[in-house]
Amino acid sequence: MRLILVDSPEEVRGHFYPLALSRPLWELRCGFSSLGEKLAAKVGVSDVAYFVADYMADAYRAKVDRPVNETSVLEGDDLFIVDPRIKADSFDVAGSGPSEVGLDEQGSLLYARVAKADLAKLPKEDIRKFVAAAKANLPNVRPALPMWQYIWDLVLANSEQITADFAAAGRSGVEGIIEEPSAIRGNKKDIYIAEGATLHPMVVLDAENGPIYIDERVEVHPFSRIEGPCYIGKDSILLGAKCREGNSIGPVCRIGGEVEESIIHGYSNKYHDGFLGHAYVGEWVNLGALTTNSDLKNDYSNVEVMLDGRRSINTGSTKVGSVIGDHVKTSIGTLLNTGSYVGAMALIMATGKPLPKFIPSFAWFLEGIVTKGFGKGKLYETAETAMGRRNCQWSQAEQAMWDAVFEMTAPMRNKAIKKGRRAMLAR
Amino acid sequence: MATVEERVKAATARVLKLDLDQIKQEHSFTVDLGAESVQSVELVAMFEEEFGIEMEEDAALSVETVGKAVAFITEVCAEQGVEVEK
Repeated sequence: MRLILVDSPEEVRGHFYPLALSRPLWELRCGFSSLGEKLAAKVGVSDVAYFVADYMADAYRAKVDRPVNETSVLEGDDLFIVDPRIKADSFDVAGSGPSEVGLDEQGSLLYARVAKADLAKLPKEDIRKFVAAAKANLPNVRPALPMWQYIWDLVLANSEQITADFAAAGRSGVEGIIEEPSAIRGNKKDIYIAEGATLHPMVVLDAENGPIYIDERVEVHPFSRIEGPCYIGKDSILLGAKCREGNSIGPVCRIGGEVEESIIHGYSNKYHDGFLGHAYVGEWVNLGALTTNSDLKNDYSNVEVMLDGRRSINTGSTKVGSVIGDHVKTSIGTLLNTGSYVGAMALIMATGKPLPKFIPSFAWFLEGIVTKGFGKGKLYETAETAMGRRNCQWSQAEQAMWDAVFEMTAPMRNKAIKKGRRAMLAR
Repeated sequence: MATVEERVKAATARVLKLDLDQIKQEHSFTVDLGAESVQSVELVAMFEEEFGIEMEEDAALSVETVGKAVAFITEVCAEQGVEVEK
């Protein structure tokens, strides 16, 4: 049986922007791993194929060793097509069995289990036509399946997911090195330190309220305190960090200051002091010293987030920090308001005041306004430099994807630039 | 209508907070007029607003002197069909 993950249409992926601008939804993370890894593990297959938006296909193909947008995967085996927003932990539909199509209340596809014998009935030249034909020709059911609706759902579920993933991993104990003196609170069975990981002296691990998983080759510097539930990804370094509960970090991150209930994708840095709470941070982000986000409003009301720059969405939670896209760079002293959206590739030079809650992708935020700055070419140069420092390469495919993102995000950016111009002229 | 040179000088004076008579054609924005990198961005924005044009960032930001800015903007105005007094 082959698992096929099909990315959602743009209007749905928009609920997961800015992260989903540059990756399919199943590459979003929660707990130890990505949503796609969780679905594959739940279904119990290693044969996985992907269908992503055309503009990111080449870039994504370079990152994975499975077929991307290849219609040849639509034949030769039983197929299990799954919406990546389905929560893997509560997905109990068998991958094998007679053909069946699960639809939500609006008639959108949740999953399609297509037996090999039924493949002949379906067109295979286009995944959209294939799915439409499966809906029309195969038995339909209307299951109630829990789904990820917005990007902050992942943040809010992270503590619970880490705890579940720790139990599923089935590991505990110390295979790495703990240099004494150290302090461990809670049950040692709730701690796993992988081979190659090193904890310097004066590190506190507090597993009293949840498990701690420190992955391979992690380095934890003195005076760091790590509270569970927590997952520290491979090759990350904690620098005297106050790592509060509910964090998923890494791989290859550099983290200092205070971080709480946040998900940070790989290769991002928050080296210095400053608070990051209930945040979702993309790849290749650098948060300058003292960058701080608020994750709780002064009146304790629900946090609202603008994902499209126009409409505020009530998150239903009093604790939501910021969502920060890939390649964002913030200057020293950046203050992010509660529920801030910082678009991918944005560059922020703080003024000391809290920023507007919506910073468009590719914006240069200078002197308190959104500007065109030095253009996307300079942002690409910076991205190339940052990636080179970690032995990663900025590719033509990646640049083509970001060019497409630049165009997609132009309307909101141009609107913000115009607003900035008006403010500049009024000075 | 003021000439391109007069309008460029007025916009420059406004952004860099200088007197008009301090600005000469041969002046470098950075070396002589003291524009910092952020002000260069502001200058480009101000020129775009002043003339109603769109400039390519890399090209615009590589212009070093007031005189070259006048020539560059005149050219962009011509390309984009914006009438100006030379």
